[in-house]
Amino acid sequence: MRLVVGVDVGNTTTEACLARVGPEGAVAYLGTALMRTTGVKGTPENADGAVAAVRAVLARVGPVTDQLHAVLLNEATPVISGLAMETITETIITESTMIGHNPATPGGVGLGVGVTVPIGELLGDRRGVEGSLIVVVPHGWDFDDVAATLNAAVRDGVDVVAAVLAGDDAVLVTNRLEKPIPVVDEVAAVEKVPMGMLAAVEVAAPGRTIRTLSNSYGLATVFALDPAQTRQVSPVARALTGNRSAVVIRTPTGDVTDRLIPAGVLELRGAGRTLRVEVDAGADEIMATVSRVAPLDDVHGEPGTHVGGMLAQVRDTMTDVTGQPASEIAIHDVLAVDTIVPAEVRGGLAGEVAQEHAVALAAMVSTDRSRMQAVADLVADRLGTSAGVGGVEGAMAVRGALTTPGVDRPVAVIDLGGGSTDAALLTASGETTAVHVAGAGELVTKLIDSELALDNREVAESVKRHPLGKVESFFHLRHEDGTVEFVDEPLPPHVFARVVVMTPEGLVPVPTRHSLDAVRRVRREAKRRVFCVNAVRALRQVAPQGNLRALDFVVLLGGSALDFEIPDMIADALAPHGIVCGTGNIHGSEGPRNAVASGLVDAYAEESA
Amino acid sequence: MSDGRAVERPSVVIYRHPGASPAVLHEVCAGAEEEGVPTRVEPVGDTDGRDAPALAHPAALDSRLEVGVGIDAGGVIAVHHAKLPPAAPAHVTSPTAGPPDWRRAGQVAARIVTGLPIAP
Repeated sequence: MRLVVGVDVGNTTTEACLARVGPEGAVAYLGTALMRTTGVKGTPENADGAVAAVRAVLARVGPVTDQLHAVLLNEATPVISGLAMETITETIITESTMIGHNPATPGGVGLGVGVTVPIGELLGDRRGVEGSLIVVVPHGWDFDDVAATLNAAVRDGVDVVAAVLAGDDAVLVTNRLEKPIPVVDEVAAVEKVPMGMLAAVEVAAPGRTIRTLSNSYGLATVFALDPAQTRQVSPVARALTGNRSAVVIRTPTGDVTDRLIPAGVLELRGAGRTLRVEVDAGADEIMATVSRVAPLDDVHGEPGTHVGGMLAQVRDTMTDVTGQPASEIAIHDVLAVDTIVPAEVRGGLAGEVAQEHAVALAAMVSTDRSRMQAVADLVADRLGTSAGVGGVEGAMAVRGALTTPGVDRPVAVIDLGGGSTDAALLTASGETTAVHVAGAGELVTKLIDSELALDNREVAESVKRHPLGKVESFFHLRHEDGTVEFVDEPLPPHVFARVVVMTPEGLVPVPTRHSLDAVRRVRREAKRRVFCVNAVRALRQVAPQGNLRALDFVVLLGGSALDFEIPDMIADALAPHGIVCGTGNIHGSEGPRNAVASGLVDAYAEESA
Repeated sequence: MSDGRAVERPSVVIYRHPGASPAVLHEVCAGAEEEGVPTRVEPVGDTDGRDAPALAHPAALDSRLEVGVGIDAGGVIAVHHAKLPPAAPAHVTSPTAGPPDWRRAGQVAARIVTGLPIAP
């Protein structure tokens, strides 16, 4: 009878599994523990976390430290991942020609075309005021005064066709007008609106979007443009699509440009060749190039770009961790994902936001220089027991996964981690192969953060981890699946009518104007583009001849396997290949956790039997 | 209606102490109007010593939309919903609040009716 502890040092967590091994190799599992990994996986700093995990698991079963026979560590190589995002389009307004924002409450309905004039010109003798006018109202004007001034002018025969306001009072003004006109408000930089220029203001009825100013030919009609000019203004129409209100001002040289930002070049080396791909070609092109040079030997980015900087940083971190020279460290995988980033338009007058295209890139570097033996020596020293490296990570993970009820060889595992997605295959004859691919939970968080413009990693993380709800009154909320829940205690005003994340600690409002469905779509798409894509990519690399049909059982492991929807999404993605896929349940009780630690114990028992 | 009374137009009810500045009421009404929600103003007696939340709750009970606003003698504004506990109003302005805050209080009342987020 011997007490042994298997310890799995992972990228973020260190797991321990305590077991009693009988003389014939019979294993009785006594308990598990989970601690944060100290330092980068595969470095001597891991000893602190490993010792803490061993102590924690021993504490659960009483004071038996002195009877501990052996600590078994996994052979783990450092895996360092990095993330970068490169925006590849940019919308710029030059000389203020467009106001395309969505104030919550514009006033009136319809289209007004006229010449811009400051409201001050309507006071006094109105010299030089003629033709159709679009009145521009600066800050500091009370809505009663605006309405009175416009009414007086209209009564005197001035043709006022629309108004642009700085403040938030379009409805208040239109309610007091004798002649209804469309009014756009909340134009913060109203003083930058050029005067004496032909302009058009359009407001759509509630629940509708503008029809004329978002149509290139509508703009051509309003401003009498020739075909060449129409081509020039088409980015304006595109930028205004989907808005409820808009203002377009025609200035002699003004322009809205849709610029492509040079995002640099990726140099991919592998399979005896070197290919270059422009980052702004998009994710599909990058990934196609990656597959042409598979297996990838190394990747370099252009210095001065985000991607180049990130790749260099990943390399530097690995150099610091392992002491290997940077020239020996190679990036073995990259994952590129197309994404949309809402960005404030440069030169905008009302905080206009345009949906810009971006490419997110995850990269991963691994080395074969492990220092786990050093960790084992430190652990042995600190605990006064024997400690050694009991097996290689991937092999141990599949062995642990085999303790899941209903699983048999050949079995593949997918470990859904934070920085990388790992896969390993155990064939019927007992051989294992393992791969790491770049892109996992952290990339999902980053995509959610940027696509929803949250600019808050913690909120993005919480959107990723928990289902959404919408608070519909002080006493009830609707879950994302449509079910309604009533509450006894009134919900706090700060979550009223908000899209919220249903965290175990309570409701957390998502700071966005998006609907619940839009937030949900962003969340699920981010998970699909990272985890479903990577599950298939990683399995192809371990499956015989890259054929997924040759796999029978796939067991999902790791922190993200506990996610409320990722396992289902991966199972759906693998279903066409005739694979049995599900979340692991180590020993029939531990869920997707503890596979490697359990595998270490099992391997030890088999050897000692 | 069988009791012969005209059906009252649904509106946010405002209980206002006559001691409060008319500018406060003006801004509160403007805030609600900009959001498209009607208001009805009911002055209370000038000896009424209730604070803003204590005025807002009965105003909410009086409103067919179940949303009320109380403006006390000091010009403090509270926004209340009929179903909330009387001591827990949805929104209260600070004593040092200015016209933009008064306008916002009216906006908050309207947004509780229309089901839009009230947090800034």
